[in-house]
Amino acid sequence: MFDNNVFIENTCVNVEENGAVIGYEMQTNITYYRGIPMSMIEYVKVAADGAEVPTEDIRISIDRVDWFTQKEAETVVDYKWEYGEPLYIRVLKDGGLSKGTHKVKLTVATRTAYIPVPLEGIKEREIEIA
Amino acid sequence: MSRIKPCVSLYSLQNEYLTKSMTLKEIMQFVKEHGAEGIEILPDQMLKGSPDISEETLKEWKGLLEETGLKPVIADVFLNTNLYKNRTLTHRESIDLLIKEIKQASRLGIHLIRLVSMVPYWVCEPLLPYCEKYDVAIALEVHAGMAFDIPETKAFIAEMKRLNSPYVGLVIDTGIFCRKFPRVVREYETLNGTSRQVFDYIDTLFEQGTDLHAVLVKNDYQYPAELEAAIQSEHDRMFVPLCDGYENYDFSVLDEYMPFIKHFHLKLFEMTPEGPEYSMDYKALLTYLHEHNYDGYVATEYEGNRFTLPGKPFVEKEQVAANQAYIQKCLKEIQG
Repeated sequence: MFDNNVFIENTCVNVEENGAVIGYEMQTNITYYRGIPMSMIEYVKVAADGAEVPTEDIRISIDRVDWFTQKEAETVVDYKWEYGEPLYIRVLKDGGLSKGTHKVKLTVATRTAYIPVPLEGIKEREIEIA
Repeated sequence: MSRIKPCVSLYSLQNEYLTKSMTLKEIMQFVKEHGAEGIEILPDQMLKGSPDISEETLKEWKGLLEETGLKPVIADVFLNTNLYKNRTLTHRESIDLLIKEIKQASRLGIHLIRLVSMVPYWVCEPLLPYCEKYDVAIALEVHAGMAFDIPETKAFIAEMKRLNSPYVGLVIDTGIFCRKFPRVVREYETLNGTSRQVFDYIDTLFEQGTDLHAVLVKNDYQYPAELEAAIQSEHDRMFVPLCDGYENYDFSVLDEYMPFIKHFHLKLFEMTPEGPEYSMDYKALLTYLHEHNYDGYVATEYEGNRFTLPGKPFVEKEQVAANQAYIQKCLKEIQG
């Protein structure tokens, strides 16, 4: 139902820190029609070229300042993922994605106030790493 | 004498906001231009930091109200009982969250809160002193699939009657008055792989004056043989429960609740080129409300945006404009 919200176009890029590419990052809108505290993010999954990324290699942030593992985010109730603002998703991978074309699939699920199952959205994009 | 006033829920323009095509200011100006008198807002959707909005956000909100002259009628509030993954909030935690919402509504100049369906009845009594102090009423949404026959709604209504306070009431979503299954849903879900036979079966139920929810409840959630025959695949089987949210009640179901009804959502799936909404007869409903001396707002709540076909443009603005034009024309005819 909220697939259209997932994986904002042209946001997938490699991330460089202190002169080294530490991984890659993408942005998504929320799979819900309102903002929620980060603790209500049920799960985020990334698959690159068909290979599922281990959960422990994924970090999430609403401001690119404080980054959380998904386990840590379960207790983050004071930071809100606002409707209309992106969630930043980072995959830690030395060297990031290689130059060329990749297929990256993003899955995002949020818990909602009255619907018993989490609201999931999925989007796969073909992305170009320059 | 009735005093029915047109309102727009900003929920209707959520994709415009999400994609940053329109700001809150532009949305409110648009609503004003189309003749609405009031607005409904989901603070969690369009006010950053809710329920603890900053003074700066509050100032901006008040400025927009002043500029447009729109009345802030109602705030749509949710209760995050599943805030944590490992446990449900306690009663006291739940009530504390709602106290925050009451205080915020008061800051926003709003005197009515829509509690989302399934909010438990036991919040009402502890909240009453806060409702009175801040002059903010709380009203449970009666929504299709979660309407009068659901235990949680029944319990809330019993508590509402017991408390018998002007600060506890109901919001009615007109999705409970569907006379036809929305064709925009059918088209969208057909593309997703749901079989024609499933929709044909649901259409026959509406033609018989009933709906899927009523049939399932009557059969204790066992699928009738005709439905089993219509299901062609596992996908169909998973989709059927999602067709529960379109009900076909007679307006008379409201008779006993009219004194408690604070607000209406005019659920909107599709305004057709010829005027009325595809599934619901708003004119008949507004006539019923007029005859029952309803004094309050009716708010356009467009939800067809969810069923926008891939590659097709969103038509939120067009649908809201068409709905307001039709409703205002009906109100003029009915109320003079």
